[in-house]
Amino acid sequence: MAKKGAAPADSKPKGPGISSLLKPYKGMIILLIFLALLSNGINLVLPRIIASGIDAYPSHYVVKNILTAFLSASIIIFIFTYLQSIIQTNTSERVARDLRSQLAAKISMQSYAYIEKANPSKLLTNLTADVDSVKMFVSQAIVTIASSLIIIIGACIMLFSINWKLAFAVVAIIPIIGGAFFFVTKKVRPIFMKGREVIDKLNKVINESILGAALIRVINSQQPEYDKFLLANTEAKNLGLSILRLFAWLIPIIVLTASFASITILTLGGHFIITGNMTLGDFAAFSSYLSLLIFPIILIGFMSNVIAQATASFQRISVILELPQLPDSGTIKDALQGNISVKNVSVVYDQKPALKNISFSVNSGSTLAIIGPTAAGKTQLLYLLTGLIKPGEGTVEFDGKDINSFNKENFYSHVGFVFQDSIIFNMSIRENIAFSDKVTDESLAKAIATAELKDFIDALPDKLNTIVSERGNSLSGGQKQRIMLARALAINPKILLLDDFTARVDNNTELKIVNNVRQNYPGITLISITQKIASAEHFDQIIVLMEGEILATGTHKQLMAGSTEYIQIYNSQQSTSNYELQS
Amino acid sequence: MNYNLNDISAKQQKASTLTILKKLLLLIREERKNLLLALLAILTNSGLNLMSPFIIGYTIDHYVMHKDYHGVLLNAGLLICMALAAFGASYTQTRMMGGVGQRMLFKLRNTVFNKLQELPVAFFNQNKAGDLISRVNNDTDKINQFFSQSLMQFIGTLATMTGAGIFLLVINFRLGVATLVPGLLIFIFTKLTSQWVKRKNTASLKTTGGLSAEIQESLNNFKVIIAFNRRDYFKKRFEEVNNQNYVTARSAGIANNIFIPVYGFFASMAQLIVLTAGIYLISTGQFTIGLLVSYLSYATNFYNPLRQLAALWTNFQVAMAGSDRISHILNMESNLPVLKEMGDQKSNSLLEFRNVHFGYPGGNEILHNINFNLERGKTYALVGPTGGGKTTTASLIARLYDPVKGQVFLDGKDIRTWQPDERTKKIGFILQEPFLFTGTVRDNILYSNQQYKDYSNKQLEEVIISANLQSLLAIFEKGLDTTVTSGGESISLGQKQLIAFMRAVLRNPDILILDEATANIDTITEQVLQNILNKLPKETTRVIIAHRLNTIQNADEIFFVNAGEVIRAGSFDDAVDMLLQGKRTG
Repeated sequence: MAKKGAAPADSKPKGPGISSLLKPYKGMIILLIFLALLSNGINLVLPRIIASGIDAYPSHYVVKNILTAFLSASIIIFIFTYLQSIIQTNTSERVARDLRSQLAAKISMQSYAYIEKANPSKLLTNLTADVDSVKMFVSQAIVTIASSLIIIIGACIMLFSINWKLAFAVVAIIPIIGGAFFFVTKKVRPIFMKGREVIDKLNKVINESILGAALIRVINSQQPEYDKFLLANTEAKNLGLSILRLFAWLIPIIVLTASFASITILTLGGHFIITGNMTLGDFAAFSSYLSLLIFPIILIGFMSNVIAQATASFQRISVILELPQLPDSGTIKDALQGNISVKNVSVVYDQKPALKNISFSVNSGSTLAIIGPTAAGKTQLLYLLTGLIKPGEGTVEFDGKDINSFNKENFYSHVGFVFQDSIIFNMSIRENIAFSDKVTDESLAKAIATAELKDFIDALPDKLNTIVSERGNSLSGGQKQRIMLARALAINPKILLLDDFTARVDNNTELKIVNNVRQNYPGITLISITQKIASAEHFDQIIVLMEGEILATGTHKQLMAGSTEYIQIYNSQQSTSNYELQS
Repeated sequence: MNYNLNDISAKQQKASTLTILKKLLLLIREERKNLLLALLAILTNSGLNLMSPFIIGYTIDHYVMHKDYHGVLLNAGLLICMALAAFGASYTQTRMMGGVGQRMLFKLRNTVFNKLQELPVAFFNQNKAGDLISRVNNDTDKINQFFSQSLMQFIGTLATMTGAGIFLLVINFRLGVATLVPGLLIFIFTKLTSQWVKRKNTASLKTTGGLSAEIQESLNNFKVIIAFNRRDYFKKRFEEVNNQNYVTARSAGIANNIFIPVYGFFASMAQLIVLTAGIYLISTGQFTIGLLVSYLSYATNFYNPLRQLAALWTNFQVAMAGSDRISHILNMESNLPVLKEMGDQKSNSLLEFRNVHFGYPGGNEILHNINFNLERGKTYALVGPTGGGKTTTASLIARLYDPVKGQVFLDGKDIRTWQPDERTKKIGFILQEPFLFTGTVRDNILYSNQQYKDYSNKQLEEVIISANLQSLLAIFEKGLDTTVTSGGESISLGQKQLIAFMRAVLRNPDILILDEATANIDTITEQVLQNILNKLPKETTRVIIAHRLNTIQNADEIFFVNAGEVIRAGSFDDAVDMLLQGKRTG
């Protein structure tokens, strides 16, 4: 829309955009237009045949020939239009499918931060409604416009060949109609853009009301949800009505202009007949050609709606298609050893400093616990280690090499990450755990045993093939957490990152799991965010993180001797007697 | 109850087109005035359009043929007036019908969304978010497209066609009948193919829903896809649904497109009939050339709209397929109706479980014959291994589900007899997984809170101080005005739990249930929460679900929940024993 003011003379500034999309389908589209041309060309001849039929009526022999011609023309038209419609459907659906694939490929290469910022509701609209508008453009607009133009041009030529003076009068209507189109489409495009944004908003409200369904029912907030929806929906309605107000002018103007044209034919044509400059048959043909001329113009009128919508949608889509390819600059394909060092890293998130000048290092095979209050930046730190977020300053190194210099596929195949929030996909438990295609049955079994899931899975009716519902509603919190652990372990990682894993798993299970990990995955580097000192006590290193800063680093013993914050946390977990004093 | 929308269509009787139409028309019953006006405009428009070929034909026969140019001009003037009137009518018709369509879309979306709000949690467990979004947005829009763009054309073309048909019959009955025969063939053809076309479209809309569901799930969980380097997997899964969608959409498209060439062919046949018979009639002197010209016009007037009708009919079938999918939602009923008070069974406790059995639909029984009482002002703890039934028990207290057998009593009455607003006022349930709406902290902690919703920030801060929540609020950078997003990473899980905690406390419930509600909060802040809980009004009952023992140490009573049974533990040590033992045996 920024370009809107810059190119007022260019009637279709976005045209090249959409047509560039069609390049790979050139063959199909040419064939399509060719067929449309043929069937419409023959269509054009029909009034001529009728005219000669009327003029030739006294002669039976000629009439017969004419009728045969008419019949064969209709059959050819039928075959061509049907062929055309099949190709048209094929092409448009293929364009839609390929466009979706391209979009998905592009989206799949984006960083996490991008997806968060772009917001999944909008991407959903991009992949569904926006692609549909473009599809509509291909399936309806291209052929309609091509064949309409052909008919219009053909009809004009016919008109001129019959009587050029009269034709001039009739053709004068075209610029009037063109002007009306231009005016309306120009005005309507920004509204269409806004309309798409409202759909994003609707998606979002519906989305939240579904994901938060349980909460909404617990606090009886159906009404406020409805009000939110009503607001977005009202906006959608008002936009729809303002689009309507513009488009409602278009068709009547076309029809009115067309009527004037036919009146012109009557008065002028009538005059020519009276003065003997025109035959009656020509007059009839002239009328037929005019009605032939009007219908495609009206169609273009309808199509201008489709075009305006498609350009708006394509503009939104191109934003994604034109995203730079995330460079996988990394080339190192060596297996990770598990040495990590973070040097002077700072991260700003949402304009707030989330991590300030963090430095620490972890040796291969050792354990690190991160402890600290809510919102200290612990999760951000783990995201940093997996490249989900990038440091604003400083470097993250694995085995002495920058994280970015590793080949991504290689890197992720050595790092297992257990997220804090349960993320379960609507597929079988097997697929949820063996989320990477490199997982063998053996490592799957080992991961399941380590995560203490074997008994649970064996008790399920379909065992590993049991489908868990979206958002994992059929599982308890602890079960989900352990499935996520198994998912991380199944790739046989060299480094295991746990984000508050201990929160939803009871002490006994946690103890068992820790022992299992030590036994089954010897030499693994373990970094664990935890709230529980008891879980961290035996770790090689503990970091106390608060408000994005490292306050202290050391073993449990060292921290107990030197860190007041650590002692405070320790005390909070020892007894309940000093609750009142603490707060 | 089966809430799976994609499972239901097979069993449920397919609603007939007529009943669907009737339902849709009910939505626009207040539009009667506008519809009438639109109809009037449509009829005027069609009438005027029909009149002009007649006048042109008449002019040719009576004035042009007789070289009366004055008459030609006179009639031209008349035609100009008619064109102007048609212009007005056509504008009115588009405005009115488009408006009706937009308002209908608006109402339809509202109705569907409202229905979604009425349905219980079980419904959402069985359906995918993306599919539901597709139904609310995409399918309703298909109906709108028909109603706003096509219905008026539909009526307009029908009116034009009827008029043209009448003219055809009046001018020359036999020729008229012959001209209309292809029309009859079209009618039969349409009748025969419509069901097939609709079926194809239903399949296509279904895969569109599936596509939307896949996108929704993948994008909302994108960090897992990145961290496990499964971008290719995302692409592959997407390709799969994308391809399915391609296949069904293509066959729907081919089905939809069959009408246009067929209608076109029959229209040509009609012209051929007129031409042949017309020329014959002229040669036998029963017909004039002027009449033939206008007759051909009328035939075109009859069959050209029919070509349009072909496109409209497709739209109509798509709309019917869409409304089928929507009515599947609208036909769902909540399985948690409010019962009438019977008065025969009472309970003296604030909350009582009496012989409660429960299992999720299609699954095994999860709770077996549960009996317990909760008294006012006491603190209860539910402990036990993961997967033992703690959350399920709490969900029954909040009536997210009803027991399969047995009864739950709230404040003396069967929980099913409480009105939702009264029930939810009494019960505060902090869910295991906190959920935030996009907005500010203030929006979220006051969500659906009638008592404080109009308070200024200052007043609200006073309320927060009196509820001892100020130290929790202080954790948020900009206090009440801190912005949060629903799925985003801008605040931590622990912070989300704090917001959920404040939200529940500010509602002053009789029973406050915390389902592992502080699991991701550090132990120091947790002590603050404990302190807040201790300072709640004396009569508030607290139910704490946890596996961290220190959070339940000062419970008055401890229930041990395992393997679908709820057992009262005598003391804290007793519970610890059971927990250890339960683990060993379970």
